[in-house]
Amino acid sequence: MKQIGVIENWATQPAERRAPAPRDPANNCVDLEPDAASSMNGFPERSVGEMFAAPNKAAGLLILLTLACLAGGLPRNSSAAERSILNVSYDPTRELYQDYNVAFVNYWKGKADQLITIKQSHGGSGKQARAVIDGLEADVVTFALAYDIDVLATRARLLPANWQTRLPNNSSPYTSTIVLLVRKGNPKGIKDWDDLARPGVSVITPNPKTSGGARWNYLAAYGYELKRSNGDEAKARAFLKAIFKNVPVLDTGARGATTTFVQRGIGDVLIAWENEALSSVAEDGKGKFEIIIPSISILAEPPVAVVDKFAKRHGTEAIAKAYLEHLYSEEGQEIAARNHYRPRLESVAQKHAAEFPQLKLFTIDELFGGWQKAQTTHFDDGGTFDEIYQGSR
Amino acid sequence: MSIELKNVSKKFGEVAAVNSVNFSVKEGELMALLGPSGGGKTTVLRMIAGLEVPTEGDIFIRGKRVNDISVRKRNIGFVFQNYALFKNMNVFKNIAFGLKIKKWKRADIEARVTELLKLLGLDGLERRYPHQLSGGQRQRVAIARALASKPGVLLLDEPFGAVDAKIRQELREWLVHLHKDLNVTTLFVTHDQEEAMEVSDRIVIFSKGNLEQIGAPREVYEQPVNEFVARFIGVMNVLEVEVRKGVGRVNELEFPAPTQPDGTRLRIGFRPYAVQVSPDLALYRYRAVLRRTYFLGIMLRLELELPSGLTLRSRITKEEYALLGLRDGMNLSLQIRTYRVLAREGGSLPPELQTAYEHPPTIAEHI
Amino acid sequence: MAGTIQSNLKARRTASRRGTEEPAFVKWTLITIGLAFALLFLLVPLVNVFYQALEKGVRFYLAALTEPDSWSAIRLTLIIAAISVPLNVVFGLAAAWAIAKFEFRGKAILITLIDLPFAVSPVVSGLVFVLLFGMQGYFGQWLDDHNIKIIFAVPGMVMATIFVTFPFVARELIPVMQATGSEQEQAALTLGASGWQTFWHVTLPSVKWGLLYGVILCNARAMGEFGAVSVVSGKIAGQTQTMPLRVEELYNSSKLSGGTAAFAVASLLALLALFTLGVKTWVEWKTRRNYELAQRAEANFQSQI
Repeated sequence: MKQIGVIENWATQPAERRAPAPRDPANNCVDLEPDAASSMNGFPERSVGEMFAAPNKAAGLLILLTLACLAGGLPRNSSAAERSILNVSYDPTRELYQDYNVAFVNYWKGKADQLITIKQSHGGSGKQARAVIDGLEADVVTFALAYDIDVLATRARLLPANWQTRLPNNSSPYTSTIVLLVRKGNPKGIKDWDDLARPGVSVITPNPKTSGGARWNYLAAYGYELKRSNGDEAKARAFLKAIFKNVPVLDTGARGATTTFVQRGIGDVLIAWENEALSSVAEDGKGKFEIIIPSISILAEPPVAVVDKFAKRHGTEAIAKAYLEHLYSEEGQEIAARNHYRPRLESVAQKHAAEFPQLKLFTIDELFGGWQKAQTTHFDDGGTFDEIYQGSR
Repeated sequence: MSIELKNVSKKFGEVAAVNSVNFSVKEGELMALLGPSGGGKTTVLRMIAGLEVPTEGDIFIRGKRVNDISVRKRNIGFVFQNYALFKNMNVFKNIAFGLKIKKWKRADIEARVTELLKLLGLDGLERRYPHQLSGGQRQRVAIARALASKPGVLLLDEPFGAVDAKIRQELREWLVHLHKDLNVTTLFVTHDQEEAMEVSDRIVIFSKGNLEQIGAPREVYEQPVNEFVARFIGVMNVLEVEVRKGVGRVNELEFPAPTQPDGTRLRIGFRPYAVQVSPDLALYRYRAVLRRTYFLGIMLRLELELPSGLTLRSRITKEEYALLGLRDGMNLSLQIRTYRVLAREGGSLPPELQTAYEHPPTIAEHI
Repeated sequence: MAGTIQSNLKARRTASRRGTEEPAFVKWTLITIGLAFALLFLLVPLVNVFYQALEKGVRFYLAALTEPDSWSAIRLTLIIAAISVPLNVVFGLAAAWAIAKFEFRGKAILITLIDLPFAVSPVVSGLVFVLLFGMQGYFGQWLDDHNIKIIFAVPGMVMATIFVTFPFVARELIPVMQATGSEQEQAALTLGASGWQTFWHVTLPSVKWGLLYGVILCNARAMGEFGAVSVVSGKIAGQTQTMPLRVEELYNSSKLSGGTAAFAVASLLALLALFTLGVKTWVEWKTRRNYELAQRAEANFQSQI
């Protein structure tokens, strides 16, 4: 018998354990090794430990701990005392609204004596609009362009079609424009839109199908050529085709494109929101980037709106409305300006005049007949963009 | 009666595995279910255990109909062909498993397991795991586990199938002794006729789902009801004869069959030991050449070729072989001392043919 | 004589080696390429994750992890794993049991279905749920009327996670259960055990290592899944962001510290990966050792007899 002690299960058993010992209830808990004698009775309870020996017991403990954690930490927003609203926005506004939310929570506390929390969700403007249509319950949306809010009204009836008239300035509390960001010293000598169409220049811009910013970029370049050629659509299309030939990657959102250009170091020039370009220079820059202001660009008016259906359901209509209105206040405008959006309020605009150089701006209504029309002509399936992009590959 | 089957049939889908089987096992009997693989014997055993449900018919254990009683409640001990020991439990726990399930008291379990370990010669192995045991030890653990809660019936599926030929012989004797000691009704499945003959009180022979014959080993050996049983139990010479004028003939061999009309075809069977030979060519009626001798220990098998080319097998002792001074290639005379008329497989004979025919006439008697 | 035979043998041996083996430089080139690839594409990025995460010091690292939205992402990830892994264990056991022990119509279909999540792109897996439960989806109107939120909330994320981690446990268990067969269970039945007792005392212990292995892989995927969860999450910071989503959000933040914070959260995922690898190796070692012990014991007895 003894020489079989080479088998480990045996060798590790203390000798006194081998003899059937009187049952020790405490022993049951500590004894993780299967032991015939001590597991003789209390069979059903005991054998849990007997087959899930030491390591499995630890795993079980881990699960229990996790569950305990779970019980103690269910999502906080379910508490009724604390009101919460969700702002579904597009990519580059992440920092703007982080700042603004802090300010608004304070403002609302003073005004209504109510503590609220504000949740944010960011992504490509078009993608985010789709998510809201699919049921992402935004109390307010702050998108890159009016068309993405129009869709909420026309396709899902989440808010009335006249939403844009409910707030001043076409419901756009701040504006921006499209500029060009190049690497330090401007090695490719980029001065204006026509330089982007030159062979050998690598251009970064996101996908107009998913990104609102990209649509602005596209229309800015298109408008430039349209103005230059006195409204020759064919020339404008050829111009865009030449530019997209130079685009190596199409990111899904403006922020992704910025990351590609700034952090991954791809491309010679980034077509970007002015605010993105400015914050890139301010944050990451250290003089690594330069902003090129083109001779002419588009006036971008990112709109905001309360999503009536969801706000009503959450009982947050008043907060949501105040949240957007406060964007027009001096405080709101100041925060927008600090985050490199062009403020509407004259007093704030003057204060930041140095940061926002004057340039010729055209509007979408003026050249493209509004967003609805621009969308169908250029960006819907089979539109001009598809034609250009397939042609440019 | 300990176990009784009445018209039990089992179908797996369209395939009939067991056809309307009837037999019973007496209390304390050791019985073998014998047949070639696929014969339905294991299915019968599993139906008795409750691991399979009969398609038709009734099964009784100790007089109680058990068709609707689950395997858990039948109080049977079952030993699987590959033992099916619990790999994650040591010997002690394997044997104690059923007792723990049945909520025996701890002291009782310990006493019972210790008793069984001793009975089966497994003392000192209680801490071992199945993979640390030899084939024979595994089998004994499986039997101890099956016996632990004192079942009314012990069922074993091919109990010696998975052990070496060398140990098998030992285990057979051991099983006989164990059975004698415990006196528990035991039913085991085997495909080895020698094993069945040696170990059991009675044998049930299956073929293709049919019960062919049931009887004591000697009975099925000496009085096989049909060709299948005859061939399956031991060696037999089987010839087909055609009856003409009251005599069945094949080549030069003749077998009296006075009651059979002309043209009848009969199967004649006789054991090798019934074929007697002599170097004295005048002694027996038929002639043959000794083609080859096979040594089987104390017995020898002779391959005999008749002038017509017909080959018969004979079996004699070593002593007789020496006494007669036989050699391969020798001319001999032979006679067939006893023979039987055989039914075809699955069939049976009219009563007038169901006897053994002794001493067909020798030449001397003819004259 | 003996000498010539010896040298003959030697010659033949070297000849045969040359016949079957590649020259040394091929061997070393292959080894170098293999190692270099592993180093370049696996080890360097992994080390880099930790390097980047700790770039601004331990204090920043901890602050990045305990920042409310990141902390919430860590917690949500654990919650989703704690729900989806046990459910997949139950499902995996049931499916593996059914496949290994029964013959039934549609078995081949079930096996194929189990593998489906491996074949489908995670994004598609996520979209399937949006199409079903989104407001424009088949059940969307009904769910909206009853104010039940599935998509862009934890239930949808759990569903998507269950979907993509569906195969892990079952895939690990099926071969183990098939190899074990059903005789041990039948033996337990003949000894009077109920179905549940049989499962608990016989089936589960015999598959425990396979099960643990499956659970580990399932958990790693449940915590690490990005694609499918991203589609159904709505990406609400502090509410429906899991760790991988949080990493992306932080990385995309234009704030200077964003990258470091992203890597801090990513380092937790990397730790999870290392932990998974560790347990996986341990389980593999354990199973192999059990097998070898059995072999050795067998050999021992053969020699004793």
